[in-house]
Amino acid sequence: MGTSPAGVAGVQMRGFERLPWRRIILVVLGIAIVLVVGIGAWKTLALPAAEGGYSAAAWRDFVVEGVSQGGIFAMIALGYSLVYGILRMINFAHGEVFMAGAFGSYFFADAYAGSGFLNRSPVIALLIITGVAIAVSVGTAALLERLAYRPLRHAPRLVPLITAIGASLFLQNVFRGFFGPQPYGYPKPQLLTGGTTILSVPITRVQLLVIVVAVLSMVALQLFVARTTTGRSMRAVAQDSEIASLMGINVDRVIVITFVIGGILAGIAGVLFSLTFGQVQFTMGFRPGIAAFTAAVLGGIGSISGAALGGFLIGLLRAVGPPLILTGYGIPSVFSIRDAFVFLVLVLVLVFRPGGLLGSGEAEKV
Amino acid sequence: MTDVRSWIRVGIIAGFVTIFLALVGLIGRFVDLNLVGEQVTFARLVLIAAPLVAGYVVTRPRIQAGERRALAPRDAIVAGAVSGATAGFVFGIAVVAADAFGIDRIRSVFLNVSEPLIDFVTFGQPPVVGAVILTAVSAIAGGLAAGLRVTPIVARRPITTAVSTILVLGFLQRIIPIALDQLGLERDWLYSRSIGGLTWLGAIAVGAAAAGLSVLNARKGRELRARLFSAGEEKTGVAPAQLVLVLVLVAVLVAVPWVVGEVISQVLGTVLIYVLLGIGLNIVVGYAGLLDLGYVFFFAVGAYSTALLTGAALNTFTGSGPPAVSLDLNFYLAIPIVLLIAAGAGLLIGAPVLRLRGDYLALVTLGLGEMVTVLIRSPWLVPLVGGPNGMRGVSDAAIAGFGFRETQHFYYLALGFVLLAVFVSWRLSASRIGRAWTAMREDEQTAEAMGVNTTRFKLLAFAMGGAIGSLGGSMFAVQIGSLTPASFEVQVSILVLGLVILGGLGSLPGVVVGSLVLVGLPGLLREFEEYRGLAYGAALVAVMILRPQGLVPNVRRSRELQEEERAQDEWAQEKEVEVAAVEGMAT
Repeated sequence: MGTSPAGVAGVQMRGFERLPWRRIILVVLGIAIVLVVGIGAWKTLALPAAEGGYSAAAWRDFVVEGVSQGGIFAMIALGYSLVYGILRMINFAHGEVFMAGAFGSYFFADAYAGSGFLNRSPVIALLIITGVAIAVSVGTAALLERLAYRPLRHAPRLVPLITAIGASLFLQNVFRGFFGPQPYGYPKPQLLTGGTTILSVPITRVQLLVIVVAVLSMVALQLFVARTTTGRSMRAVAQDSEIASLMGINVDRVIVITFVIGGILAGIAGVLFSLTFGQVQFTMGFRPGIAAFTAAVLGGIGSISGAALGGFLIGLLRAVGPPLILTGYGIPSVFSIRDAFVFLVLVLVLVFRPGGLLGSGEAEKV
Repeated sequence: MTDVRSWIRVGIIAGFVTIFLALVGLIGRFVDLNLVGEQVTFARLVLIAAPLVAGYVVTRPRIQAGERRALAPRDAIVAGAVSGATAGFVFGIAVVAADAFGIDRIRSVFLNVSEPLIDFVTFGQPPVVGAVILTAVSAIAGGLAAGLRVTPIVARRPITTAVSTILVLGFLQRIIPIALDQLGLERDWLYSRSIGGLTWLGAIAVGAAAAGLSVLNARKGRELRARLFSAGEEKTGVAPAQLVLVLVLVAVLVAVPWVVGEVISQVLGTVLIYVLLGIGLNIVVGYAGLLDLGYVFFFAVGAYSTALLTGAALNTFTGSGPPAVSLDLNFYLAIPIVLLIAAGAGLLIGAPVLRLRGDYLALVTLGLGEMVTVLIRSPWLVPLVGGPNGMRGVSDAAIAGFGFRETQHFYYLALGFVLLAVFVSWRLSASRIGRAWTAMREDEQTAEAMGVNTTRFKLLAFAMGGAIGSLGGSMFAVQIGSLTPASFEVQVSILVLGLVILGGLGSLPGVVVGSLVLVGLPGLLREFEEYRGLAYGAALVAVMILRPQGLVPNVRRSRELQEEERAQDEWAQEKEVEVAAVEGMAT
């Protein structure tokens, strides 16, 4: 420790040093990963059912589950992506915006379940619940922007990121302080229990609802950004906020609108997530937040279609990847490490293709 | 009158802050926490905290047409009182509304709203009367804060010193009496046994002493400091006064655990562990400017590799068993191996992510840290690290039979390693390597153009930071002797990052101060355990917005920041002025 490796390299080391080490390491790493994944998948698929292999029906269920959860991730990912596109900052606290919506809606859902309203007119009840979730999420996102991020609009990039981490911690603990650390059981209307079959694929009603709502809201967002004046000013600010403001666009307003849209999507996602998993807790935003962020990066951060694609991909990878790759190696309870799997994907995407699938493929400079 | 409008606006915000504090439970849960006598309780302090701040804020000097204009004393007091009254009024309305709506109905959502809380904030009166009293009390608080602000500094400094000393002693009511008992000192005159807090006699005595010291410091302090610190500069030798100072410091450091007793020693041991972690992360983030959000990775590597190398056993349901890989080395033989493992791990995770900058790097490291968290819990690695049950039987680092597990002994072991790490880190930062890191942090492209091999220095930063961080993990393993995955969560990463940032990026004294504030204080104030996260989060945001250079800034860096700081002062005084870009952190 403490000796300087700089400037003391001998002449004979020069040739050794000129080798493109980074590239070599990456290629070796890449080959190793392909091998590990390939062998694992092959071994898993060759495994007979009696020794822990999965049937075709099981794989189908994994895929359906993955697509459905992917829809939720995609909706959260859009929040990251929109904000990143406009402010070039990672809104680390977006997972908490999602949690806030889910938590806020819980109290209405619980009250409606208690009074029977949830089962008498489930559609109206769910609409109101979702409205509440959206309101809470949007409020949280707007407050966050106003109090924490706006004063730092022109600070170096790491400053808002650290602020966002602080805000995330703060928001979690606010909800813990308000409502306590325990998880709350989230009621589900009878309409959404049970399953159905589409094109001979069995699917639970909640999963169906999640996929439909996710697709619809993403189409709506795409139309909004592509067709409306506000959407056009959002795109303008994303390209160059200074020029946009010279063209008469109110940049502050556009930024607030971006946070609001992210909040709306997060609120809807919060309800869908709570219906899927049946509980809310103050820590619930962290892991889905990271998964969604991974999705946004995977698709190419800043792009709407990228976030959508990335969301569904991450959902699928998370549901299918661990059993497919890890079971073959005889690793027990593969689902307990599916979050580690997501983080691994995040690391690999950033290392190999930081621009994302739909991005430029180059690490951003500065 | 735009002035009045802004006073009222600040007051309204303060009112909502009080509502928030009440909902989080900071009022209702601490009704019985006496600080001084039975009159000054924590809950009452929280109740008037927001009006106090409001009164202080509205009397800030304004800059109009380039001139700094302070309010006249009488106007200031009026402004503070109006603002405070508004805050009290808003909160009062909320209380009346809550009472009318039904406490139990609110309680089913907001756990902390209760009859005793309403009773407390209305001073036992009917809600409407209570709201009126609240408004009056808040007006007085706001006026007092404003009055304090316009008091000449000669009087203001002793007053604030006295009040803050009394409050600090009041908060430490669980700790200081134990230390006094340890020393065999009479303490009943200072702390009351029946109500917990300071006695009025004690508070007055302490306050007077603090005020006296403050006056003395204002009169003679500069002279004294000049004699202590300037003498050494001209000559090569060390000034005698400085030598005395160093000796006193060493004596204090050595004597501390026996003076303060076991409870505080325990906390100090933990503080030292976090100082180690902070020094390590400071190299990565503060010196080299690489934001690492997964620092818990190295903490875990250090702790678990120490455990595996010194012959720890796995916890199982039936008892314990040997891990899949195990050595039974002497602790001091194991430490260099641990350092090598951690440095290697630093290189390994550093290599692929080198080209990433700023926020992407942060997220990759976050991902890696989380992977470790998930993996040490997973059933897959049970044979190696015990999974959720963890391990036990880590070496107690004994030298010739003198073990370091005991709280007061552990302090010395940790202190020794901290001093070593401080020395290494200090020499590094002053060396060619340190300057290369600074250059890289400030402007990577320029540094590269000037011949700094950024790849190599980034890797070196990861390796060094990782190694020192793993030392923190080793210390932790020695301190508690057993490991469970619950100690290696993402919170550790954020806590360490928080203390480095709070203290001031790149500043070693800052790391110590940051650890004392973020680890030491919560360790001493156990009754506020639940509010740690809230405080950390708020502190991170506040530091980033108000004081990005930290509490004890690195000298060189703070010089870079000074331009911006002036801009920030203006911003604080005139809200319309946007905070200018804060340079200094690597982009």
